[in-house]
Amino acid sequence: MKWIREIWQSIVRRDPLSTDKGKSELVFLNVWLHIHPAKVKRENLRFKYSFYLGFITFFLFLILLTTGIALMCYYRPYPPAAYQDMKDLQFAVFMGSFLRNMHRWAAHAMVVCVFLHMCRVFYTGSYKKPRQFNWVVGVMLLLLTLGLSFTGYLLPWDQLAYWAITVGTNIGSYAPLVGGKLRELLLGGHTVGEAALLRFYVLHVAVLPSLVILFTIVHFWRVRKDGGLSRPIWKLKPQKTEALVTIGAPAAVAPLQVTAASKDKTYGLMEVVTGKPIFETVTPEEEEDTVFSYPYAFVREAVALMATVTTIMAISLFFKAPLEEMANPAVTPNPAKAPWYFLGLQELVSHSALLGGVVVPALMVIALIAIPYIDRNPSRRPRDRKWAIWLFTFFVVANILLIIVGTFFRGPGWAWVPPWVHVVARPE
Amino acid sequence: MNRRNFLSWGTAGMAALCSAVGVSFGAVVRFLVPSVFYGPPQSFKIGNPGDFPYGPPTFLADEKIFVFRDRERGFAVASAVCTHLGCTVAYFQDDREFHCPCHGSVFSPTGAVLHGPAPQSLNWFEVTLTRDGQLRVDKDKVVPPTYRLMV
Ligand code: HEM
Ligand code: FES
Repeated sequence: MKWIREIWQSIVRRDPLSTDKGKSELVFLNVWLHIHPAKVKRENLRFKYSFYLGFITFFLFLILLTTGIALMCYYRPYPPAAYQDMKDLQFAVFMGSFLRNMHRWAAHAMVVCVFLHMCRVFYTGSYKKPRQFNWVVGVMLLLLTLGLSFTGYLLPWDQLAYWAITVGTNIGSYAPLVGGKLRELLLGGHTVGEAALLRFYVLHVAVLPSLVILFTIVHFWRVRKDGGLSRPIWKLKPQKTEALVTIGAPAAVAPLQVTAASKDKTYGLMEVVTGKPIFETVTPEEEEDTVFSYPYAFVREAVALMATVTTIMAISLFFKAPLEEMANPAVTPNPAKAPWYFLGLQELVSHSALLGGVVVPALMVIALIAIPYIDRNPSRRPRDRKWAIWLFTFFVVANILLIIVGTFFRGPGWAWVPPWVHVVARPE
Repeated sequence: MNRRNFLSWGTAGMAALCSAVGVSFGAVVRFLVPSVFYGPPQSFKIGNPGDFPYGPPTFLADEKIFVFRDRERGFAVASAVCTHLGCTVAYFQDDREFHCPCHGSVFSPTGAVLHGPAPQSLNWFEVTLTRDGQLRVDKDKVVPPTYRLMV
């Protein structure tokens, strides 16, 4: 039995988990776990602070990766095989329909969660110094998430897919000068056809997922390097934000406090520089308030993971991902609607294509990216940032209202209809 | 190497590097532009004049066109692609209007926008007679709605 233990120790190489040293070694000797600090602020683990939305988004992405790879085994990205493969997945492949459902519902859920996560970050003021850039990385992730959903939407090659992408890509061609050319580049032709399906496939399974992975790595690294999650509002210290100094800047304030080295502590050679770091630091009193990542943070993350997977599985058991008739360029379904998260845009587009399809979305993206640089108010307390909160809430409510109008109040010919017609006269 | 040499070589080197990056980027973009389009051809024959009845237009689904035939005025071909975002419009014989299902654009019998977000009227395409007596439509040649081919 000794040799088994030796092999095991050659792998884990840490002290037993009953010791503090073992607990921290579990984190920082492990390439996957060491994105966590060995200890985290206790208050940040509270569900009511982050709702674990960032984690849930990430777990949804993991579900999408695994189910997506499974679906790739049965999918050929050219018409009409693409549609036939969807039918096969639905009716012939063992568990095919379940996996397809999971992929579809996880994709919808990811769009919802990434949006909610952004709202959480905004309302807690967590985009403020030193986290400005991580907000920008976040906006990139939001756009990539939408891009993944959009490119995935065409792949089933049914009527819904075909017309949503026809309308969606035509919106882009209203962009002045480059619009038409960009559309041609994306479609690899003048209309949505074979070439477009192949390009969307390449974007969907290779280009965009790689970019999401890259940006996620940066995003997580930054969360860590910005000093972990921002302090909950209820734990904010009285105004001390100005005290942050860049590494390397001459120390204007008192020199670093020197605490007597204790015999049973060891120190690695990390971050021994003069001056205070850019990230949020923890004072000795606050250190009292931290707990070991193992098991406190890990258990909570594992619970979030399991809750996410179970929820998506449960939904996929009971609700089928839609599949309409095969794409038919000659017949436009009436009404032809984009995926729901673009219905707000489509509603705007039905009034003016240039304004709704190009100007407004471009301004929205620019405004989102610029938020941390425009809002220079250092305070994170809601009562100090009434304006910011009102403006952002207006943006959120306007988006949701437009989506609701586009989804429930628009019928054939994009005419105004009462929402119950969708329930009474549901085309099957 | 003296300072002056260093600077001039450095500048030249940077310029070379930048142009190499620029050229490579251009090449990548050009790579993405298809040299051959496999989509449906822009100019095609649609059959003999006799194939088309008088009265309501014939809708050719693959080409997305309406072929109108009128006893006095002859042939005309209208595009069925909505100028707003490219959905396929339907023709209604009773009010002789084109209706787009996507965002509700309505076009008059001449293709002019009556209502809705479409920014311009429907296209009319040139239709000619080939030597073997067939009708040929050329989508690259847009003509005014008054254009007619008498057979
Ligand atoms: C694929 C999309 C995304 C993933 C997987 C993701 C993941 C995460 C995770 C796991 C955290 C740690 C804590 C938490 O659960 O809240 C986090 C924090 C953060 N995220 Fe995201 N995120 C995404 C998109 C976004 C977006 C769209 C924004 C904003 C526009 C954003 C801005 C931030 C910021 C500023 C933090 C630090 C918050 C703090 O310190 O309290 N992220 N993200
Ligand atoms: S595509 Fe015809 S009205 Fe929008």
